[in-house]
Amino acid sequence: MAGFLAAVALAATANEGPDAPDFALSSTSGTNYRLSEYRGEVVALVFWASWCGDCRAELERFERLRRTYGSVGFNVLGVNLDTEPGRASALAGAAGIGYPILLDEGQDVSRTYRADELPLIVLIDREGAIRARHEALDEREERGLLVDLRDLIDE
Amino acid sequence: MKPAIITLLAAVAVSMPALAGDTAGSAAKAPVERSALDAEVQSLRSEVVDLNRDLFMLEEDLLFPASTQVAVFVSMDVGTFFALDSVQLKVDDKEVANYLYTEREQEALKRGGVQRLWLGNLKAGEHEVTAFFTGQGPHARDYKRGTTLQVEKGVGAKYLELRISDKATSLQPEFVVKVWE
Repeated sequence: MAGFLAAVALAATANEGPDAPDFALSSTSGTNYRLSEYRGEVVALVFWASWCGDCRAELERFERLRRTYGSVGFNVLGVNLDTEPGRASALAGAAGIGYPILLDEGQDVSRTYRADELPLIVLIDREGAIRARHEALDEREERGLLVDLRDLIDE
Repeated sequence: MKPAIITLLAAVAVSMPALAGDTAGSAAKAPVERSALDAEVQSLRSEVVDLNRDLFMLEEDLLFPASTQVAVFVSMDVGTFFALDSVQLKVDDKEVANYLYTEREQEALKRGGVQRLWLGNLKAGEHEVTAFFTGQGPHARDYKRGTTLQVEKGVGAKYLELRISDKATSLQPEFVVKVWE
């Protein structure tokens, strides 16, 4: 009995990841956002910069995902590493991005999340734990991301 | 995740008699047992929350003893003339806090909430506390104001309140530092 309960407890905790470090950043619209205010919802952080070639495709991919899964508690926050906020606004506007683009000019948040390569996608579950990290995705990896995302939404 | 584990274990424990092939009589008792178990789990949860709170208070007492403790709070009275964006706090010219406010936090302050901006230790004697407020002032103009206070830290804990209020006569925001003993 004790062994069985221990196994169940282990299975229940196996999905836990490290807590996503909290942060607050201002956005291109001037509004401030704090990650911890999204507790209870699934969040994707998309780290990007205007000089990163693969980033635009990821921004657009997550805009599509947001439109599909937004109503079931999925949020996307773009974290831009450009030192000039104007570039982030221009590119996000041209790509038709509807989610907040946060400005990490000091790059403190990207350092905390070890965004050494861009784009970087961090999936955070409803409990505020990091559950997956993805870099630029090909078709097969996109399927993996969708599986991760649907699992998180269903939890 | 701990409450989830407790719930899961409780669910497993509840289902165990059924798995073992109990009699029909014991199956009828199951709802009663389940509700008793639910109450027990709930009470356990409540005890964990209480314990967590006590540990938190104990930790604060150890890290910030009353003899050196200084806490700085932010409050807002009305806030019609000022939309708070951030507060930077310096003690003896050293930045100790820099806080960015979301819309939800601004609303909470406007509704009377008080935020603890910083909790730290200062030795007895005179200290300079400076706060810089940035945000939007009247007519949605960018606004930055600073306020400084010389604080005499004695042997007891010191509490400072940074209050943002509306000055109706000049239609401007007012920034006041209040000392609580």
